[in-house]
Amino acid sequence: MKDLVRQKISINVDIMDLLNQQIKKEAHSSSAYLAMASWCDQNGLNYSAEFFYKQSEEEREHMLKIFKFINDNGGTAYSPEVKSVMHEFNSLQEIFEAALDQEIEITKSIHSIVFKARKVQDLSSEYFLQWFINEQMEEEQKMRRVLELFDLMGTDGIALKLIDERVKDI
Amino acid sequence: MNLLYKSYYYSSYQCDNKRCFFVDFGDKPVKLSFCQLLALRQKVNSIDLNAHFDSNSNSHGIEILTLCNREHILILDTLQVIDLKQLIKSTFGMLELHALVAQTI
Ligand SMILES: [Fe+2]
Ligand SMILES: [Fe+2]
Repeated sequence: MKDLVRQKISINVDIMDLLNQQIKKEAHSSSAYLAMASWCDQNGLNYSAEFFYKQSEEEREHMLKIFKFINDNGGTAYSPEVKSVMHEFNSLQEIFEAALDQEIEITKSIHSIVFKARKVQDLSSEYFLQWFINEQMEEEQKMRRVLELFDLMGTDGIALKLIDERVKDI
Repeated sequence: MNLLYKSYYYSSYQCDNKRCFFVDFGDKPVKLSFCQLLALRQKVNSIDLNAHFDSNSNSHGIEILTLCNREHILILDTLQVIDLKQLIKSTFGMLELHALVAQTI
């Protein structure tokens, strides 16, 4: 019997499922950042708003990168539905904490796909995901740097305005 | 044609000559490309079986599936859904097994 599956698809089918789940997570991140951008806009924190618009765009790019990887390799990528996006926050600090937590979750999720890819010897997917491992380190560092500003400068009055201005250089 | 798996109601085949798959749904055999087989797998896997045992979410215990870009329609009861889930899981399991065997020979 021919190995028809291998002729049609060059990644493991179970890994493809996990990558489709990852597409959903990236799409959710993108929407979550958009909601954060909106909150910042409403509260006059223009640089932070700008920061989250850009993050939102990046998450969409991540999503598309995975999307194309699946389709280019003979799999089927599914357009994600996004549910339960958080719009209510108490402070800018809370937003950046939520952003860091979100990035940590994404990092864990990427790592677990890599482990699984290793287990089923899907080197193509493992190699593809290397880029995401690096990217996640950078994203976590970004959020951490902003949170350090809060530790340094506090959260009230003028400090908030100063932090917002610093965000544009991060 | 190579039989991949036979469950209680259904069976799946791979056809080397036509480079495609067939699923026999009892009353009709359906020809599927690999992409279409993947799509069927996705649909079957995403059926929530628990909903069949909850009269609020799926009171009739019926599932309607369309195949191959809505060329075919399937109406399944709970037992058939369970059986189809088994068929899909085992079919892909067999395909993986064949690949492994081919690799070692
Ligand atoms: Fe991302
Ligand atoms: Fe991210």
